[in-house]
Amino acid sequence: MWVWIVCLLTAAPALAEPLCSKEVCDNYGYKVRISIKTALGDKAYEWNESEMFLFRATVAFAMRRYTSDETYNVSDIVVCNKTARVSFWFLVTSPANTAQLVPRGQVEAAVRLSRNRINSAFLLTDQTLQFVGILPTLAPPISYDTPPWLIVFGVVMGVVCAGIITLLLSTLLKRTRSKKNLLETEEEEDRRGSITANGRLCESLREKDPGRGHPDDVHLSKL
Amino acid sequence: MEKEARPSWDNPMQFVLACVSYAVGLGNVWRFPYLCQMHGGGGFMIPYLIMLVLEGIPLFCMELAIGQKMRLGSIGAWSAISPYLGGVGIASVVTSLYLCLYYNVINAWSFWYLFHSFQTVLPWSQCPVNSNRTGFLEECEVATPTQYFFFRETLNISSSIDENGSLHMGQALCLLLAWLIVYLFIVRGVKSTGKVVYFTATFPYVVLIIYLIRGVTLHGALNGVKYMFTPKLEQLANPQTWINASTQIFFSLGLGFGSLIAFASYNHHKNNFEKQAIVVSLINSGTSIFASIVTFSIYGFKATFNYESCLERTRLLLLNTFELAEDAVNKDNITFWITELNHSHPEQFETIAIKLETCSLEAELDTAVEGTGLAFIVYTEAITNMPISQLWSVLYFIMLLLLGMGSMLGNVTAIITPLRDFQLLTQRLSSETLNGLVCIFCLLLGLGFTTRPGNYWFTMFNDYGATFSLLFIVLIEVITVSYIYGLKRFQKDIEDMLGHQPNWYWKIMWGAISPLLLISMFVFYIINYIQGGTPTYQAWNKEMGKSVEMEYPVYGQAFIALLLVSSVSCVPITAIYAFCMRRQHGTVVQERSINTMTSAI
Repeated sequence: MWVWIVCLLTAAPALAEPLCSKEVCDNYGYKVRISIKTALGDKAYEWNESEMFLFRATVAFAMRRYTSDETYNVSDIVVCNKTARVSFWFLVTSPANTAQLVPRGQVEAAVRLSRNRINSAFLLTDQTLQFVGILPTLAPPISYDTPPWLIVFGVVMGVVCAGIITLLLSTLLKRTRSKKNLLETEEEEDRRGSITANGRLCESLREKDPGRGHPDDVHLSKL
Repeated sequence: MEKEARPSWDNPMQFVLACVSYAVGLGNVWRFPYLCQMHGGGGFMIPYLIMLVLEGIPLFCMELAIGQKMRLGSIGAWSAISPYLGGVGIASVVTSLYLCLYYNVINAWSFWYLFHSFQTVLPWSQCPVNSNRTGFLEECEVATPTQYFFFRETLNISSSIDENGSLHMGQALCLLLAWLIVYLFIVRGVKSTGKVVYFTATFPYVVLIIYLIRGVTLHGALNGVKYMFTPKLEQLANPQTWINASTQIFFSLGLGFGSLIAFASYNHHKNNFEKQAIVVSLINSGTSIFASIVTFSIYGFKATFNYESCLERTRLLLLNTFELAEDAVNKDNITFWITELNHSHPEQFETIAIKLETCSLEAELDTAVEGTGLAFIVYTEAITNMPISQLWSVLYFIMLLLLGMGSMLGNVTAIITPLRDFQLLTQRLSSETLNGLVCIFCLLLGLGFTTRPGNYWFTMFNDYGATFSLLFIVLIEVITVSYIYGLKRFQKDIEDMLGHQPNWYWKIMWGAISPLLLISMFVFYIINYIQGGTPTYQAWNKEMGKSVEMEYPVYGQAFIALLLVSSVSCVPITAIYAFCMRRQHGTVVQERSINTMTSAI
């Protein structure tokens, strides 16, 4: 009995080892790199076994979500070759049969689907929780009904056009008003009748407003 | 019907601010810092200030004097000085027209960037995502996001000048807006321009001061400022430094376009233009130096940022290849680790040796950029790395717009003032209509610069449209005033206006030094042009993500020749025309007098 137990215990790691060999990892596993200090700086947490447990749980969650198979468990996620960098390889075994490994394509698709959830569990991003070989799914570009620049353009254009129209209208009004005034004064002079030039001058001197007659007065007085 | 009195500035301050607004333009912000960097930092101030005194201030004062005395635009003023040299005025108007056509396109770009700053994420800070959302667009990957935004989204540039393309609607709309604003500012002539310049001359300084404070507080800014102020005096021995200093003073003050003559023609007869000329020239140079401090602090920030990013990438590369703990390698001990790892794991080190970049702060600071590249690529990149980047972006582009609009006002005034002097046009069209027609004409032609190859045509106009012609025009101007009109007559005119004769400084400069400097600049320009071989331009290559040098095709070179010849040839053509007219009139007068004599007999 004792011998059996010892044999099993020594054989267990021997059995586990082929799983973490290079060929198996290359064909079925993915390398993960975690850069906590780069991402969080002072608020960085320690990477320990509990964090590793959380990682395995989130990957199991990702597999459940993708395959809609609720039998995936933490024990189905195997982790190997841990380094001080905080990088390791992981493999996924099928829950029905621990010797059978889930193909890479499925693992990749599962991770891509739940990438956001995995990242937020660790307060990390696509760059700091790196799955080497899995391309990140970038957020779709924000699409607007009207591009915002057009709105600002419209506002500025409206103000400028309003300014131009105001200036042109005011100039036009000033011109028509001064033309009307000019016509009125000419009519008045005609109406005063055709007396001699001197008489007319006396009339205009007497009846015109002092402000209006000045240029003529100065001119004529020099004669 | 009484002739309307010539409109005038409400007060001399408006005139000074108009000149400041015109002279202080985009060149102060994007050309002077570049020259400073190329020619030894602080040491460049020496040739710059010497040229200001020898050439800048005297020529500026001369143009103001001519405008104030003649009270006509450039064509009328030069025709009055010498009937054979009215062509100088026409050449000025043609050059101003070329400038107006392409300069407002820069304002259109500034508007485009300004409107795009009103978003949560600045569009030039990130690459757009590709169609299957796995990465970024290829063109953006090989270039930087700011370059991609400028060349692809703003210009939609073609890969060479030969390719035809359609109008960029956004650019066309922004150009329309820019011309509408110019029209709004000049619609009533100096009455409206005079009010606008209060704002366009002063607000850029407010923004520059804000940017100065922001700039020097940025991380790494002092590296840039230190770099700028360490003079490399050996550059003073390089003749190119002196040539660049004189051309920069010359173009920065905006001489030769006729704008200064136009502005001064609206002055009161007794206005003290001498003092104003010195004040405006000093303000212009002071602004250049001030703007270059701001630019260099931003350069320093950007260079430090790039340097630290480079170090970070190297650090990550080392960490990932050698599986070291994250806090083992930091910025300070990278070089130690590199040598250590090279020794301990040589084969593994070999694999990454190619990817290892040398990070050098000096190299980053040495990359000098000028022109639109500085304003729209380098600066915008620096802005994306500042906190609250939308605010800084809006402020920056408003400043660029004000600087550009101020210069546009001067250039458009240089075109409409001589046109208004022609009685034929003034009788038929009101000033608003005439101004509107000029703006519409320039807008329609300017739309050509908003097509896909438009930026290459823009560069052609920028490099050849005004440079040579201006040198020629101002040279003829100063020789005319000093020798053909006569320095004595000119002195008397100035005494008439100012109350005292100009002192020996002005006389020596106008008579001897400035013409000599101009002739040497002229000769150097021609030598440079001939030695340069076929003119080339920078074409954007979208596969490589950078600009490559390409030669202009034959029709491009012919167009350059046309640009140069069309403005320069106005002078001899008008001289010959005036000569022929005089001869004809002379014979007609003689015939008439003979007839009257015979009839009297």
